[in-house]
Amino acid sequence: MTRFSRLSFLKSAGAAAGVAAATSSPALAAAIDPGAVETKPSGPLAREPVVAIVRDPGLGEVTVMAGTTEKTYKDRTLVKRLLKAAANNHGVNVGEVG
Amino acid sequence: MSSHREAPEISKDPVADNADVYAFVSPDKPDTVTIISNFVPLQAPPGGPNFFEFGDDVLYSIHIDNDADSEPEIEYQFRFQSKLRNPNTFLYNTGPITSLDSPNWNKRQFYSIARVDKGKSTMIASGLACPPCNIGPRSTPKYEALAAAAVHTLPGGERVFAGQRNDPFFVDLGAIFDLADLRPFQQLHLIHSAATAGVDDTRTLNIHSIAIQVPIRKLTKDGSVPKDVMSSTSVLGIWSSASRRKVRMADAANDEKAESGPWVQVSRLGNPLFNEVVVPLGKKDEWNGQTPAADAEYLPNVQHPELSGLLPVLYPGVFPNLKALTAARADLVAILLTGLPAGVVPEFQNYTGKKYADMLRLNVAVPPAKKPNPIGLIAGDAAGFPNGRRVFDDTTTVELRAFAGVTYPLVDKTFTPDGAASKVDQGVGPGPNRYLSTFPYVGTPHDGYSTPDHTL
Repeated sequence: MTRFSRLSFLKSAGAAAGVAAATSSPALAAAIDPGAVETKPSGPLAREPVVAIVRDPGLGEVTVMAGTTEKTYKDRTLVKRLLKAAANNHGVNVGEVG
Repeated sequence: MSSHREAPEISKDPVADNADVYAFVSPDKPDTVTIISNFVPLQAPPGGPNFFEFGDDVLYSIHIDNDADSEPEIEYQFRFQSKLRNPNTFLYNTGPITSLDSPNWNKRQFYSIARVDKGKSTMIASGLACPPCNIGPRSTPKYEALAAAAVHTLPGGERVFAGQRNDPFFVDLGAIFDLADLRPFQQLHLIHSAATAGVDDTRTLNIHSIAIQVPIRKLTKDGSVPKDVMSSTSVLGIWSSASRRKVRMADAANDEKAESGPWVQVSRLGNPLFNEVVVPLGKKDEWNGQTPAADAEYLPNVQHPELSGLLPVLYPGVFPNLKALTAARADLVAILLTGLPAGVVPEFQNYTGKKYADMLRLNVAVPPAKKPNPIGLIAGDAAGFPNGRRVFDDTTTVELRAFAGVTYPLVDKTFTPDGAASKVDQGVGPGPNRYLSTFPYVGTPHDGYSTPDHTL
């Protein structure tokens, strides 16, 4: 399985929909900038936004969709950042990264 | 029926609901096959101001297996795009629509077609116009001419049409889902009443058809136009499907829905009534998401169909031989899952091997019938269902009779069907003036001004 790095995530986001689409999501913003702060969306959702789904927090599994592709990665660092952003911004318990 | 609202999830998503698929050697162009796949079922013709259309966010597919592996070697993909001329009116049309480019037609729809050969996709057409819906005599005064203009001939020899039609499927929906009542025989029903004539509930309802007529040589494995009925090259497996993107997001700042991820199949259709009456309720949505190659899972439901068990209960004393028949229904397996092998019906086969898969199986070497019989193969008309399916085939009656045991002697000559089995009839037929004699064969949709009949 390909190791999913922050750089490759940025590349896939930029290639598929532009970084603006990726940064329109607080959760994805957290993946890009560990010091993420909550903000208002700068524009509407892109028609084909890059979507990251934390599939299994315990395993650090994240599924990334870009265009009509879908790949699932094991990336505990990315999952931790997404969960941290979700917990900080939404005040919900979204599980632990094992 | 046949798969109108047949599964819990797809019944909430009409634009993706694949109601029927038809495949037959074109009667007026016998070197071609016509395939028709229907969606958006049970349309009441007056359904404005937002009249019916295909889903811009749905991928519609017609699949063809030409080497008996239950996988598609050929796929035709259809994508639609709506265009709004004037967003500042509530009207579908602001005057009579007299042509496909009429400035009075506000909400139009166009489509593109890709042909996929063994995974390699080629765009073969784009910007093709759909006809409008049939609104009424003031809005669509010459509807037949509008629809005819929406038949497109492609450079590769295909002809296509995509738009509203009168639903070709005829069925006494209300009676059949009232505990499998058949009005002409309801005096024999467990909860009986006097026999009456059948009612065709879809006669005045419309549907959206995707129709494509393809030269046979562009569908067969070796590029031939087969003449030998007994050759495996002559048999095509055909089904259709609808898919949606995996993720869809609503965003208040964006009129268009954002989507992402791969296409996920949400509906499919091969044989009429398969998902409707063979697959149990808890599995219907799952079945819609699978391909025919995975249909071995449903073999027990075909071998021991629920409907065959219900008939003797609902019609006490009428089906004693069917009631006593406990063996696996190899006849139904052949009709629905493998095709009929050589030797079952004289000088006929549409066998695609032992792999169980729900597909229409069309033997293209069988020429169109000079005098078609809507009861098809079991009435001696080998050009009809279950050899493919024509628009006027009475598949409900054929399958009811098959489930009642009429076809079991094909695999066990010691079995005698009950006398009633060959008389089972839903009491409705194709009726006059419902179909066209030329492509796209499905008839003119009923207009919303005249339908329903206000004189009743």
